[in-house]
Amino acid sequence: MSTVKTALVIGAGPAGMEAAVKIGGAGYRVILADRADSLGGTLRQLCSSFPRWEDPADLIAYKTEQINKCPLITIKTKTTVVAAEKNGNGYLVTLGSDGLTSEIQADAVIIATGFELFDASVYGEYGYGSFDNVVNSLEFEALLKEWQENQGKTASPGTVAFFKCVGSRDRAKGLPYCSRICCMYTAKQAGLVKELFPDSKCYVFYMDYRAAGREYEEFVRSVIEQRHVRYVRGRPAKVLPEDGRLLIRAEDTLMGMPVEIAADMVVLAAAIVPGPGTRQIARLFQIKSDEYGFIDYNRNEPAKAGDRVFFAGACGFAVETLGAIQQGAAAAAEVIALFNQPNGEEKNA
Amino acid sequence: MPDASGIETQAFFKTIKLDAIDDSLPQEIKTACGVDVETCLECGKCSGGCSNVRIFDITPRQVVKLIKTGQEKPLLAMDALWACVSCQLCGDRCPAGIDIARIMDYLREKAYQKGIKATRYQVQLFHELMLGFIKKTGRVAEGQLIIRFNLKTGRYFKDADLGRRLFLKGKIKPFSSKIKNREDLRRIFQESIEREEDQ
Repeated sequence: MSTVKTALVIGAGPAGMEAAVKIGGAGYRVILADRADSLGGTLRQLCSSFPRWEDPADLIAYKTEQINKCPLITIKTKTTVVAAEKNGNGYLVTLGSDGLTSEIQADAVIIATGFELFDASVYGEYGYGSFDNVVNSLEFEALLKEWQENQGKTASPGTVAFFKCVGSRDRAKGLPYCSRICCMYTAKQAGLVKELFPDSKCYVFYMDYRAAGREYEEFVRSVIEQRHVRYVRGRPAKVLPEDGRLLIRAEDTLMGMPVEIAADMVVLAAAIVPGPGTRQIARLFQIKSDEYGFIDYNRNEPAKAGDRVFFAGACGFAVETLGAIQQGAAAAAEVIALFNQPNGEEKNA
Repeated sequence: MPDASGIETQAFFKTIKLDAIDDSLPQEIKTACGVDVETCLECGKCSGGCSNVRIFDITPRQVVKLIKTGQEKPLLAMDALWACVSCQLCGDRCPAGIDIARIMDYLREKAYQKGIKATRYQVQLFHELMLGFIKKTGRVAEGQLIIRFNLKTGRYFKDADLGRRLFLKGKIKPFSSKIKNREDLRRIFQESIEREEDQ
Protein backbone atom coordinates (compact mmCIF):
# COMPACT_ATOMS: atom_id res chain seq x y z
CA MET A 1 0.00 0.00 0.00
CA SER A 2 2.54 2.52 -1.11
CA THR A 3 -0.31 4.72 -2.27
CA VAL A 4 -1.67 5.36 1.24
CA LYS A 5 -2.13 9.08 1.46
CA THR A 6 -0.56 11.23 4.11
CA ALA A 7 -2.00 14.22 5.95
CA LEU A 8 0.21 16.69 7.75
CA VAL A 9 -1.37 18.12 10.90
CA ILE A 10 0.42 21.21 12.14
CA GLY A 11 -0.16 21.75 15.84
CA ALA A 12 -0.97 19.09 18.41
CA GLY A 13 -3.47 20.89 20.60
CA PRO A 14 -7.00 19.51 21.02
CA ALA A 15 -7.94 20.37 17.40
CA GLY A 16 -4.82 18.82 15.86
CA MET A 17 -4.94 15.73 18.08
CA GLU A 18 -8.57 15.11 17.21
CA ALA A 19 -7.90 15.55 13.49
CA ALA A 20 -4.97 13.11 13.67
CA VAL A 21 -7.03 10.50 15.53
CA LYS A 22 -9.86 10.69 13.01
CA ILE A 23 -7.70 10.63 9.87
CA GLY A 24 -5.54 7.82 11.30
CA GLY A 25 -8.69 5.94 12.26
CA ALA A 26 -9.93 6.21 8.69
CA GLY A 27 -6.81 4.41 7.46
CA TYR A 28 -4.61 7.24 6.22
CA ARG A 29 -1.16 8.23 7.33
CA VAL A 30 -0.82 11.26 9.59
CA ILE A 31 2.21 13.26 10.54
CA LEU A 32 1.34 15.22 13.66
CA ALA A 33 3.88 17.99 14.12
CA ASP A 34 4.18 20.40 17.03
CA ARG A 35 6.89 22.84 18.04
CA ALA A 36 6.52 21.81 21.71
CA ASP A 37 8.10 18.70 23.19
CA SER A 38 4.81 16.96 23.94
CA LEU A 39 1.20 16.81 22.83
CA GLY A 40 -1.65 18.97 24.11
CA GLY A 41 -0.82 22.51 23.00
CA THR A 42 -2.10 25.32 25.20
CA LEU A 43 -4.45 22.85 26.87
CA ARG A 44 -1.45 21.50 28.78
CA GLN A 45 -1.16 24.81 30.61
CA LEU A 46 -4.75 24.82 31.81
CA CYS A 47 -6.10 23.96 35.23
CA SER A 48 -9.60 22.47 35.21
CA SER A 49 -12.20 23.29 32.57
CA PHE A 50 -15.65 24.73 32.01
CA PRO A 51 -18.48 23.89 32.20
CA ARG A 52 -17.87 20.58 34.01
CA TRP A 53 -14.72 21.17 36.08
CA GLU A 54 -12.88 18.36 34.30
CA ASP A 55 -9.11 18.00 34.32
CA PRO A 56 -7.64 18.85 30.90
CA ALA A 57 -4.80 16.40 31.60
CA ASP A 58 -7.34 13.56 31.41
CA LEU A 59 -8.45 14.69 27.99
CA ILE A 60 -4.85 14.97 26.75
CA ALA A 61 -4.05 11.51 28.17
CA TYR A 62 -7.11 10.04 26.43
CA LYS A 63 -6.29 11.57 23.05
CA THR A 64 -2.60 10.69 23.41
CA GLU A 65 -3.53 7.09 24.03
CA GLN A 66 -5.75 7.06 20.94
CA ILE A 67 -2.87 8.50 18.92
CA ASN A 68 -0.34 6.04 20.32
CA LYS A 69 -2.64 3.14 19.52
CA CYS A 70 -2.85 4.14 15.88
CA PRO A 71 0.19 2.89 13.92
CA LEU A 72 -0.55 5.28 11.06
CA ILE A 73 0.13 8.41 13.12
CA THR A 74 3.70 9.67 13.40
CA ILE A 75 4.29 12.22 16.14
CA LYS A 76 6.93 14.83 15.44
CA THR A 77 7.46 17.03 18.46
CA LYS A 78 9.90 19.96 18.67
CA THR A 79 9.22 20.31 14.97
CA THR A 80 8.38 23.35 12.91
CA VAL A 81 7.40 23.85 9.30
CA VAL A 82 10.28 25.52 7.50
CA ALA A 83 9.06 25.54 3.92
CA ALA A 84 6.26 24.26 1.74
CA GLU A 85 5.75 24.09 -1.98
CA LYS A 86 3.02 22.75 -4.17
CA ASN A 87 3.99 19.37 -5.54
CA GLY A 88 1.50 17.59 -7.77
CA ASN A 89 -1.60 16.78 -5.76
CA GLY A 90 -0.08 17.90 -2.52
CA TYR A 91 2.73 19.74 -0.87
CA LEU A 92 6.40 19.08 -0.40
CA VAL A 93 6.92 20.27 3.14
CA THR A 94 10.24 20.86 4.85
CA LEU A 95 10.12 20.18 8.57
CA GLY A 96 12.78 21.46 10.93
CA SER A 97 13.74 19.86 14.20
CA ASP A 98 16.81 20.56 16.32
CA GLY A 99 18.49 22.29 13.43
CA LEU A 100 17.94 19.34 11.11
CA THR A 101 15.51 19.44 8.24
CA SER A 102 13.57 16.68 6.56
CA GLU A 103 11.18 16.68 3.63
CA ILE A 104 7.82 14.99 3.52
CA GLN A 105 5.12 14.71 0.89
CA ALA A 106 1.70 15.70 2.30
CA ASP A 107 -1.44 15.02 0.32
CA ALA A 108 -3.40 17.33 2.57
CA VAL A 109 -2.58 19.72 5.38
CA ILE A 110 -4.51 20.67 8.49
CA ILE A 111 -3.42 23.83 10.25
CA ALA A 112 -4.17 23.82 13.96
CA THR A 113 -1.67 26.30 15.28
CA GLY A 114 -3.77 27.72 18.08
CA PHE A 115 -3.63 31.17 19.62
CA GLU A 116 -1.66 33.56 21.77
CA LEU A 117 -2.68 36.14 24.32
CA PHE A 118 -2.73 39.82 23.45
CA ASP A 119 0.11 41.74 25.08
CA ALA A 120 -1.62 43.40 28.04
CA SER A 121 1.29 45.77 28.71
CA VAL A 122 -0.29 48.01 26.07
CA TYR A 123 -2.47 49.24 28.93
CA GLY A 124 -0.16 51.22 31.17
CA GLU A 125 -3.11 51.86 33.48
CA TYR A 126 -3.27 48.17 34.45
CA GLY A 127 0.44 47.87 35.20
CA TYR A 128 0.98 44.52 33.49
CA GLY A 129 4.74 44.05 33.30
CA SER A 130 5.33 46.68 36.01
CA PHE A 131 3.49 45.21 39.00
CA ASP A 132 4.37 41.67 40.03
CA ASN A 133 0.86 40.69 40.97
CA VAL A 134 -0.75 41.71 37.71
CA VAL A 135 -0.76 38.60 35.55
CA ASN A 136 -2.44 37.48 32.37
CA SER A 137 -4.87 34.60 32.34
CA LEU A 138 -2.40 31.96 31.10
CA GLU A 139 0.12 32.94 33.77
CA PHE A 140 -2.69 32.62 36.28
CA GLU A 141 -3.54 29.12 35.02
CA ALA A 142 0.02 28.12 35.93
CA LEU A 143 -0.49 29.61 39.41
CA LEU A 144 -3.76 27.75 39.81
CA LYS A 145 -2.03 24.49 38.90
CA GLU A 146 0.64 25.18 41.47
CA TRP A 147 -1.96 25.99 44.14
CA GLN A 148 -3.95 22.89 43.29
CA GLU A 149 -0.87 20.68 43.57
CA ASN A 150 0.11 22.18 46.91
CA GLN A 151 -3.40 22.30 48.25
CA GLY A 152 -3.45 23.11 51.96
CA LYS A 153 0.17 24.21 51.90
CA THR A 154 -0.26 27.52 50.10
CA ALA A 155 -1.37 30.76 51.71
CA SER A 156 -4.63 32.24 50.44
CA PRO A 157 -4.15 34.75 47.63
CA GLY A 158 -6.48 37.11 49.54
CA THR A 159 -8.45 39.29 47.17
CA VAL A 160 -8.20 38.47 43.48
CA ALA A 161 -9.66 40.79 40.86
CA PHE A 162 -10.34 39.57 37.34
CA PHE A 163 -10.53 42.04 34.44
CA LYS A 164 -12.33 40.87 31.36
CA CYS A 165 -12.04 42.34 27.86
CA VAL A 166 -8.36 43.29 28.17
CA GLY A 167 -7.58 43.99 24.53
CA SER A 168 -10.93 42.64 23.38
CA ARG A 169 -13.74 44.98 22.39
CA ASP A 170 -11.30 47.86 22.26
CA ARG A 171 -11.06 49.80 19.03
CA ALA A 172 -8.45 52.18 20.36
CA LYS A 173 -5.58 50.04 21.59
CA GLY A 174 -6.78 46.49 21.22
CA LEU A 175 -9.05 44.51 18.95
CA PRO A 176 -12.65 45.22 18.09
CA TYR A 177 -13.84 41.66 18.47
CA CYS A 178 -15.04 39.69 21.49
CA SER A 179 -12.56 36.93 22.31
CA ARG A 180 -15.48 34.70 23.17
CA ILE A 181 -13.90 32.33 25.71
CA CYS A 182 -12.71 34.79 28.39
CA CYS A 183 -16.09 35.04 30.14
CA MET A 184 -16.08 31.32 30.63
CA TYR A 185 -12.49 30.74 31.68
CA THR A 186 -12.60 33.76 33.99
CA ALA A 187 -15.63 32.29 35.76
CA LYS A 188 -13.74 29.00 35.98
CA GLN A 189 -10.60 30.65 37.37
CA ALA A 190 -12.50 32.68 39.96
CA GLY A 191 -14.55 29.64 40.90
CA LEU A 192 -11.37 27.60 41.34
CA VAL A 193 -9.83 30.23 43.62
CA LYS A 194 -12.95 30.16 45.79
CA GLU A 195 -12.84 26.37 45.88
CA LEU A 196 -9.16 26.20 46.82
CA PHE A 197 -9.38 29.13 49.25
CA PRO A 198 -12.92 29.60 50.55
CA ASP A 199 -11.83 32.61 52.60
CA SER A 200 -10.46 34.43 49.56
CA LYS A 201 -12.46 37.09 47.77
CA CYS A 202 -12.91 37.17 44.04
CA TYR A 203 -14.22 40.06 41.99
CA VAL A 204 -14.86 39.86 38.28
CA PHE A 205 -15.09 43.14 36.40
CA TYR A 206 -17.15 42.67 33.28
CA MET A 207 -19.07 44.64 30.70
CA ASP A 208 -21.46 41.78 30.16
CA TYR A 209 -20.87 38.11 30.55
CA ARG A 210 -21.27 36.09 27.42
CA ALA A 211 -22.10 32.52 28.21
CA ALA A 212 -23.45 31.24 24.91
CA GLY A 213 -22.95 27.53 25.03
CA ARG A 214 -24.35 24.36 26.44
CA GLU A 215 -24.36 24.53 30.27
CA TYR A 216 -22.41 27.81 30.11
CA GLU A 217 -24.98 30.17 31.61
CA GLU A 218 -25.64 27.68 34.39
CA PHE A 219 -21.90 27.45 34.97
CA VAL A 220 -21.44 31.19 35.37
CA ARG A 221 -24.51 31.48 37.60
CA SER A 222 -23.23 28.66 39.80
CA VAL A 223 -19.92 30.48 40.20
CA ILE A 224 -21.79 33.63 41.24
CA GLU A 225 -24.46 32.02 43.40
CA GLN A 226 -22.77 28.98 44.90
CA ARG A 227 -19.11 30.01 44.95
CA HIS A 228 -19.90 33.64 45.76
CA VAL A 229 -17.68 35.28 43.20
CA ARG A 230 -18.69 38.93 43.01
CA TYR A 231 -19.43 40.26 39.55
CA VAL A 232 -19.03 44.01 39.15
CA ARG A 233 -20.24 45.52 35.89
CA GLY A 234 -17.69 48.00 34.66
CA ARG A 235 -14.36 48.08 32.93
CA PRO A 236 -11.63 48.94 35.43
CA ALA A 237 -9.90 52.21 34.76
CA LYS A 238 -6.76 52.08 36.82
CA VAL A 239 -4.60 49.90 39.02
CA LEU A 240 -2.53 51.77 41.60
CA PRO A 241 0.02 50.33 43.98
CA GLU A 242 -1.06 51.12 47.55
CA ASP A 243 0.56 49.79 50.72
CA GLY A 244 1.93 46.79 48.89
CA ARG A 245 -1.48 46.00 47.45
CA LEU A 246 -3.24 46.96 44.25
CA LEU A 247 -5.97 49.58 44.39
CA ILE A 248 -8.45 49.19 41.56
CA ARG A 249 -10.63 52.05 40.41
CA ALA A 250 -13.72 51.38 38.37
CA GLU A 251 -17.33 52.32 38.00
CA ASP A 252 -20.17 50.05 38.92
CA THR A 253 -22.18 50.92 35.85
CA LEU A 254 -25.29 49.24 37.19
CA MET A 255 -25.51 51.86 39.91
CA GLY A 256 -23.56 54.60 38.21
CA MET A 257 -21.25 54.77 41.18
CA PRO A 258 -17.48 54.83 41.29
CA VAL A 259 -16.03 51.86 43.15
CA GLU A 260 -12.66 51.03 44.61
CA ILE A 261 -11.14 47.85 45.85
CA ALA A 262 -7.77 46.91 47.25
CA ALA A 263 -6.73 43.59 45.73
CA ASP A 264 -3.74 41.32 46.18
CA MET A 265 -3.71 40.11 42.64
CA VAL A 266 -5.12 41.20 39.30
CA VAL A 267 -5.76 38.70 36.51
CA LEU A 268 -6.13 40.11 33.01
CA ALA A 269 -8.24 38.13 30.57
CA ALA A 270 -6.22 39.24 27.57
CA ALA A 271 -7.66 38.99 24.09
CA ILE A 272 -7.15 35.88 21.97
CA VAL A 273 -4.93 36.62 18.98
CA PRO A 274 -3.34 34.36 16.38
CA GLY A 275 0.32 33.64 17.09
CA PRO A 276 3.17 34.50 14.72
CA GLY A 277 3.31 30.81 13.77
CA THR A 278 -0.14 31.04 12.23
CA ARG A 279 0.90 33.99 10.05
CA GLN A 280 4.01 32.16 8.92
CA ILE A 281 2.12 28.98 8.06
CA ALA A 282 -0.51 30.99 6.19
CA ARG A 283 2.27 32.57 4.14
CA LEU A 284 3.96 29.22 3.41
CA PHE A 285 0.76 27.61 2.16
CA GLN A 286 -0.43 30.79 0.46
CA ILE A 287 -3.77 30.88 2.22
CA LYS A 288 -5.79 33.91 3.22
CA SER A 289 -5.81 35.37 6.70
CA ASP A 290 -8.18 38.03 7.95
CA GLU A 291 -7.01 41.45 9.09
CA TYR A 292 -6.13 40.11 12.55
CA GLY A 293 -4.14 37.15 11.24
CA PHE A 294 -6.75 34.46 11.85
CA ILE A 295 -7.03 32.01 8.98
CA ASP A 296 -9.93 33.04 6.81
CA TYR A 297 -12.82 30.73 6.12
CA ASN A 298 -15.34 30.56 3.35
CA ARG A 299 -19.00 30.15 4.04
CA ASN A 300 -19.50 27.09 1.88
CA GLU A 301 -16.62 25.06 3.30
CA PRO A 302 -15.79 26.56 6.67
CA ALA A 303 -12.99 24.10 7.50
CA LYS A 304 -11.17 24.73 4.26
CA ALA A 305 -8.43 27.32 3.95
CA GLY A 306 -7.07 26.65 0.47
CA ASP A 307 -6.13 23.95 -1.99
CA ARG A 308 -5.83 20.79 0.12
CA VAL A 309 -5.30 22.93 3.17
CA PHE A 310 -7.77 22.86 6.02
CA PHE A 311 -7.78 24.39 9.48
CA ALA A 312 -9.23 23.82 12.92
CA GLY A 313 -9.14 25.37 16.36
CA ALA A 314 -8.14 28.79 17.58
CA CYS A 315 -5.96 29.65 14.56
CA GLY A 316 -9.30 30.36 12.88
CA PHE A 317 -10.78 32.28 15.79
CA ALA A 318 -10.98 32.10 19.56
CA VAL A 319 -12.62 28.81 20.50
CA GLU A 320 -12.95 26.70 23.61
CA THR A 321 -11.54 23.17 23.90
CA LEU A 322 -14.78 21.45 22.96
CA GLY A 323 -15.18 23.62 19.87
CA ALA A 324 -11.55 23.01 18.89
CA ILE A 325 -12.11 19.26 19.03
CA GLN A 326 -15.27 19.56 16.95
CA GLN A 327 -13.44 21.66 14.39
CA GLY A 328 -10.58 19.15 14.37
CA ALA A 329 -13.06 16.41 13.55
CA ALA A 330 -14.66 18.56 10.85
CA ALA A 331 -11.29 19.26 9.21
CA ALA A 332 -10.47 15.55 9.42
CA ALA A 333 -13.76 14.76 7.67
CA GLU A 334 -12.77 17.09 4.84
CA VAL A 335 -9.41 15.35 4.48
CA ILE A 336 -10.93 11.86 4.61
CA ALA A 337 -13.55 12.82 2.02
CA LEU A 338 -10.81 14.18 -0.19
CA PHE A 339 -8.63 11.10 0.20
CA ASN A 340 -11.60 8.88 -0.60
CA GLN A 341 -12.03 10.38 -4.08
CA PRO A 342 -11.16 7.76 -6.75
CA ASN A 343 -8.12 9.63 -8.03
CA GLY A 344 -7.51 11.67 -4.96
CA GLU A 345 -8.89 14.61 -6.90
CA GLU A 346 -11.16 17.13 -5.37
CA LYS A 347 -14.55 16.83 -7.03
CA ASN A 348 -15.26 20.50 -7.18
CA ALA A 349 -11.72 21.72 -7.38
CA MET B 1 -28.01 67.88 48.02
CA PRO B 2 -31.62 66.95 48.56
CA ASP B 3 -33.34 66.39 45.25
CA ALA B 4 -36.94 67.31 44.44
CA SER B 5 -38.31 64.52 46.59
CA GLY B 6 -36.28 65.68 49.57
CA ILE B 7 -34.07 62.60 49.64
CA GLU B 8 -30.37 62.96 50.28
CA THR B 9 -28.79 61.46 47.19
CA GLN B 10 -25.26 62.66 47.65
CA ALA B 11 -24.19 59.49 49.42
CA PHE B 12 -24.80 57.51 46.25
CA PHE B 13 -22.01 59.18 44.38
CA LYS B 14 -19.32 58.65 46.94
CA THR B 15 -16.85 56.00 45.94
CA ILE B 16 -17.92 52.65 47.28
CA LYS B 17 -15.21 50.51 48.81
CA LEU B 18 -16.08 47.06 47.56
CA ASP B 19 -13.92 45.35 50.16
CA ALA B 20 -15.75 47.13 52.97
CA ILE B 21 -19.03 45.51 51.99
CA ASP B 22 -19.99 42.64 54.23
CA ASP B 23 -22.80 40.29 53.38
CA SER B 24 -24.89 40.87 56.48
CA LEU B 25 -27.69 42.68 54.63
CA PRO B 26 -28.03 40.06 51.86
CA GLN B 27 -27.99 37.41 54.58
CA GLU B 28 -30.67 39.26 56.54
CA ILE B 29 -32.86 39.47 53.43
CA LYS B 30 -32.24 35.79 52.76
CA THR B 31 -33.40 34.85 56.24
CA ALA B 32 -36.30 37.28 56.48
CA CYS B 33 -37.64 37.13 52.93
CA GLY B 34 -36.25 33.87 51.59
CA VAL B 35 -34.67 35.74 48.70
CA ASP B 36 -31.11 35.22 47.46
CA VAL B 37 -30.21 38.55 45.83
CA GLU B 38 -27.16 36.97 44.22
CA THR B 39 -29.52 35.28 41.78
CA CYS B 40 -30.46 38.72 40.38
CA LEU B 41 -29.44 39.01 36.71
CA GLU B 42 -29.63 42.83 36.74
CA CYS B 43 -31.88 42.68 33.70
CA GLY B 44 -34.21 45.46 34.88
CA LYS B 45 -37.44 43.74 33.94
CA CYS B 46 -38.78 44.59 37.40
CA SER B 47 -38.09 48.32 37.00
CA GLY B 48 -39.28 48.40 33.41
CA GLY B 49 -42.67 47.05 34.34
CA CYS B 50 -43.08 48.64 37.77
CA SER B 51 -46.50 50.28 37.95
CA ASN B 52 -45.22 53.21 39.96
CA VAL B 53 -41.62 53.56 38.86
CA ARG B 54 -42.23 57.05 37.46
CA ILE B 55 -42.53 58.31 41.03
CA PHE B 56 -39.78 56.10 42.50
CA ASP B 57 -36.47 57.59 43.55
CA ILE B 58 -34.83 54.16 43.53
CA THR B 59 -36.00 51.54 41.04
CA PRO B 60 -36.77 47.95 42.05
CA ARG B 61 -33.58 46.70 40.36
CA GLN B 62 -31.56 49.28 42.23
CA VAL B 63 -33.19 48.13 45.46
CA VAL B 64 -31.85 44.62 44.87
CA LYS B 65 -28.47 46.03 43.85
CA LEU B 66 -28.30 48.16 47.02
CA ILE B 67 -28.99 45.06 49.09
CA LYS B 68 -26.16 43.30 47.26
CA THR B 69 -23.85 46.17 48.13
CA GLY B 70 -25.04 46.24 51.71
CA GLN B 71 -26.36 49.81 51.72
CA GLU B 72 -29.15 49.81 54.21
CA LYS B 73 -29.26 53.54 54.85
CA PRO B 74 -30.57 54.71 51.46
CA LEU B 75 -32.88 51.70 51.34
CA LEU B 76 -34.67 52.65 54.54
CA ALA B 77 -34.78 56.34 53.64
CA MET B 78 -35.99 55.94 50.07
CA ASP B 79 -39.30 57.33 48.97
CA ALA B 80 -39.94 54.27 46.82
CA LEU B 81 -40.66 52.36 50.01
CA TRP B 82 -43.86 54.39 50.35
CA ALA B 83 -44.61 54.90 46.69
CA CYS B 84 -44.62 51.14 46.14
CA VAL B 85 -48.17 49.81 46.07
CA SER B 86 -47.18 46.14 46.38
CA CYS B 87 -48.79 45.29 43.06
CA GLN B 88 -46.17 42.53 42.74
CA LEU B 89 -45.66 42.95 39.00
CA CYS B 90 -41.91 43.04 39.64
CA GLY B 91 -41.67 39.69 41.38
CA ASP B 92 -44.25 38.09 39.15
CA ARG B 93 -42.17 38.84 36.06
CA CYS B 94 -38.70 38.37 37.56
CA PRO B 95 -36.74 35.70 35.62
CA ALA B 96 -34.81 34.86 38.79
CA GLY B 97 -38.03 34.53 40.77
CA ILE B 98 -37.01 37.23 43.23
CA ASP B 99 -39.94 38.39 45.35
CA ILE B 100 -39.15 42.09 45.35
CA ALA B 101 -42.49 43.09 46.87
CA ARG B 102 -41.64 40.92 49.86
CA ILE B 103 -38.31 42.75 50.19
CA MET B 104 -40.13 46.10 50.00
CA ASP B 105 -42.53 44.94 52.72
CA TYR B 106 -39.65 43.90 54.93
CA LEU B 107 -37.77 47.16 54.41
CA ARG B 108 -40.95 49.17 55.05
CA GLU B 109 -41.49 47.39 58.36
CA LYS B 110 -37.86 47.91 59.31
CA ALA B 111 -37.97 51.61 58.47
CA TYR B 112 -41.19 52.00 60.46
CA GLN B 113 -39.73 50.21 63.47
CA LYS B 114 -36.63 52.36 63.31
CA GLY B 115 -38.85 55.43 63.34
CA ILE B 116 -37.68 56.56 59.91
CA LYS B 117 -40.41 58.85 58.69
CA ALA B 118 -41.65 58.79 55.13
CA THR B 119 -40.99 62.06 53.37
CA ARG B 120 -43.84 61.52 50.94
CA TYR B 121 -46.90 63.67 51.68
CA GLN B 122 -48.80 62.36 54.75
CA VAL B 123 -48.10 58.77 53.86
CA GLN B 124 -47.99 57.74 57.49
CA LEU B 125 -51.44 59.18 58.10
CA PHE B 126 -52.83 57.47 55.02
CA HIS B 127 -51.46 54.09 56.10
CA GLU B 128 -52.83 54.50 59.60
CA LEU B 129 -56.28 55.53 58.41
CA MET B 130 -56.42 52.66 55.98
CA LEU B 131 -55.32 50.11 58.56
CA GLY B 132 -57.92 51.58 60.95
CA PHE B 133 -60.70 50.81 58.48
CA ILE B 134 -59.44 47.31 57.88
CA LYS B 135 -59.20 46.69 61.59
CA LYS B 136 -62.78 47.84 62.11
CA THR B 137 -64.59 46.38 59.12
CA GLY B 138 -62.20 44.04 57.38
CA ARG B 139 -62.49 46.12 54.22
CA VAL B 140 -61.13 49.33 52.78
CA ALA B 141 -63.89 51.86 52.43
CA GLU B 142 -62.40 53.99 49.66
CA GLY B 143 -64.97 56.76 49.85
CA GLN B 144 -64.75 57.22 53.58
CA LEU B 145 -60.98 56.82 53.51
CA ILE B 146 -60.59 59.62 50.97
CA ILE B 147 -62.97 61.89 52.86
CA ARG B 148 -61.30 61.20 56.21
CA PHE B 149 -57.82 61.68 54.74
CA ASN B 150 -58.73 64.97 53.07
CA LEU B 151 -60.44 66.25 56.21
CA LYS B 152 -57.40 65.42 58.35
CA THR B 153 -55.03 67.08 55.93
CA GLY B 154 -57.24 70.12 55.51
CA ARG B 155 -57.72 69.70 51.77
CA TYR B 156 -61.48 69.40 51.93
CA PHE B 157 -62.39 69.58 48.28
CA LYS B 158 -59.32 68.00 46.72
CA ASP B 159 -61.09 64.94 45.36
CA ALA B 160 -64.62 66.31 45.35
CA ASP B 161 -65.06 66.24 41.59
CA LEU B 162 -63.43 62.84 41.14
CA GLY B 163 -65.37 61.49 44.12
CA ARG B 164 -68.67 62.66 42.66
CA ARG B 165 -67.97 60.95 39.36
CA LEU B 166 -66.82 57.74 41.02
CA PHE B 167 -69.94 57.78 43.19
CA LEU B 168 -72.28 58.31 40.24
CA LYS B 169 -70.67 55.38 38.44
CA GLY B 170 -71.05 53.23 41.52
CA LYS B 171 -67.32 52.79 41.93
CA ILE B 172 -67.35 53.99 45.55
CA LYS B 173 -70.07 53.56 48.08
CA PRO B 174 -71.00 55.97 50.87
CA PHE B 175 -71.15 53.24 53.45
CA SER B 176 -68.69 50.40 53.78
CA SER B 177 -69.73 46.82 54.13
CA LYS B 178 -68.25 44.63 56.85
CA ILE B 179 -66.84 41.16 56.62
CA LYS B 180 -68.64 38.38 58.46
CA ASN B 181 -66.04 36.92 60.75
CA ARG B 182 -64.65 39.99 62.48
CA GLU B 183 -63.55 37.96 65.49
CA ASP B 184 -60.85 36.21 63.36
CA LEU B 185 -59.80 39.60 62.05
CA ARG B 186 -59.42 40.93 65.57
CA ARG B 187 -57.22 37.95 66.42
CA ILE B 188 -54.97 38.59 63.40
CA PHE B 189 -54.39 42.14 64.55
CA GLN B 190 -53.91 41.06 68.14
CA GLU B 191 -51.34 38.44 67.20
CA SER B 192 -49.38 40.73 64.93
CA ILE B 193 -49.22 43.35 67.69
CA GLU B 194 -48.01 40.71 70.16
CA ARG B 195 -45.43 39.48 67.67
CA GLU B 196 -44.13 43.00 67.19
CA GLU B 197 -43.90 43.47 70.95
CA ASP B 198 -41.88 40.26 71.21
CA GLN B 199 -39.27 41.58 68.81
